[in-house]
Amino acid sequence: MTSARNIVSKLSPLLACLGLLALWQVAALWLDTESFPTAWHALQTVPQVLGDPEQLLNILDSIRRMVIGFSLAVLIAIPLGLAMGRSARVSAFFNPLLMMIYPVPKAALMPVIMLWLGVGDASKTLVIFLGVSLPVIYHSFQGAKAVEEKMLWSGAAMGLSGLQRMIRIVLPAALPEILTGCRTGLVLALITMVTSEMIARQSGAGNILFNAMDMAQYDTVFAMIIIIGALGIVLDAAFDKLRWRLVKWAEPHQEILLGAS
Amino acid sequence: MRGKVRKLSPPSERQATGGRMQVPLRPEIDTGTGATSGERARAMIEIASVSKRFETSGRKSHLALSDINLTVNDGAFVSILGPSGCGKSTLLYIVGGFVAPSEGVARMKGAAITGPGPDRGPVFQEFALFPWKTVLGNVMYGLRQQGVKRTEAEAQSLRLIEMVGLKGFEHFYPKELSGGMKQRVAIARTLAYRPSVLLMDEPFGALDAHTRTRLQNDLLNIWERDRKTVLFVTHSVEEAVFLSDKVVVMTRAPGRIKQIVDIDLPRPRIRAELLLDSHYQKYVVDIERMIDDGRDDAEHS
Repeated sequence: MTSARNIVSKLSPLLACLGLLALWQVAALWLDTESFPTAWHALQTVPQVLGDPEQLLNILDSIRRMVIGFSLAVLIAIPLGLAMGRSARVSAFFNPLLMMIYPVPKAALMPVIMLWLGVGDASKTLVIFLGVSLPVIYHSFQGAKAVEEKMLWSGAAMGLSGLQRMIRIVLPAALPEILTGCRTGLVLALITMVTSEMIARQSGAGNILFNAMDMAQYDTVFAMIIIIGALGIVLDAAFDKLRWRLVKWAEPHQEILLGAS
Repeated sequence: MRGKVRKLSPPSERQATGGRMQVPLRPEIDTGTGATSGERARAMIEIASVSKRFETSGRKSHLALSDINLTVNDGAFVSILGPSGCGKSTLLYIVGGFVAPSEGVARMKGAAITGPGPDRGPVFQEFALFPWKTVLGNVMYGLRQQGVKRTEAEAQSLRLIEMVGLKGFEHFYPKELSGGMKQRVAIARTLAYRPSVLLMDEPFGALDAHTRTRLQNDLLNIWERDRKTVLFVTHSVEEAVFLSDKVVVMTRAPGRIKQIVDIDLPRPRIRAELLLDSHYQKYVVDIERMIDDGRDDAEHS
């Protein structure tokens, strides 16, 4: 019983994917326009795009920028968010600044950043960095703020210094919340990566997509959408697996038992 | 680093007498060592003229504790009893070094308390376990922090876990435990690093009556082994009388010591016998009356 339900729940994302592709296929056949290739056609184009060394390098370039931007953001945003969550003074200093940046679409800053840093890696990485930072700061802040005072007192009584309490109590206690922020940040990294490459068209996955668009290579356009989408799904799933491993102590009871068995 | 106790020149001459009016007395036996120096040596915690004022919004301030004087001797089980809002927990936090007094000084073995330290181990009503650590990980934490080797810390912790009745649950996460079990872990975690004083802040307040009774019994059994000094905050009269050598009765707004009652009941105490004991019952009734008087005072003023 449960195992059958398990199989269904494991397969459901795949089924959803296939359903979407089928819908696409039917719609494309029905509309029958040049700018809307069938799903089957687009899928066939994917190996072609990935098989082209130049295109592949472009895509890998994108991923490299994304990884660097994401990592830098996480490295800076987590300590900052935690410090803001535990210190009213730090929070009072950074809060107005972040409130101002928060609602601005980071891609909208791209022209200005390009003006300063050019159209190369630096600009694009910076935009990704900005996009990822804010949700990670916000969630780290919330997580740190919610840490029980008595837990910190218990640590202090054991002889942990202020910094040790921050690293060894606040950080792990806030980790579930921090990782929620990182997961949002990861999706935002992908989005800002593509957007930045649409604006500063020089290399990358976004560049391939829009070049193909300009040249009316609709197969390639849709193949790229599939590739970027798949990248997002794989990254998100991988991250969720990592998250689960790190914070299984915070998950509902039943899941822990399943994980242990 | 905070958390160390600063040594001060000789403890001030102020003796803890404030509000003291001893009811049925067990004579203060001071065996052998003689005179005042012996008395001094036995004092584990001294609270001298401590007041605590909290600043609240709107430029008002709230006097939580007013002129508290109290001495807790080495090896004594002392309860602080009072209605909610009488500042009894605040007093415990001052001894723990988590909260600084507005006036006065609290001393531990003659040294002024300036911050938390492993000589004073807290146990909170909220358990405050580390949820990312297993039972064993929680209990080992303090030992590892003190530089005890992993294997040794593990061995000691396993013994403690067995002592608090959680053998078999070593690798469970706090989330998987009931409230009573969590508090057992918290007690073991604090006992593990061998504080000289246990500071217990309504530790059984969040538990159901049955669990509460069992933990009281178990705590007494554990305490009988090494007679650590315990400062125990509670609002339950029965709990205070059952456990303590001395019950400090507080009144509220501002928190003052109304009376200190010596509980002269034989140990080891067996609950079933004690509940039928007329002395026990008299202590409970007397103290309940004291608290009621306090309430009347507050209402009339």
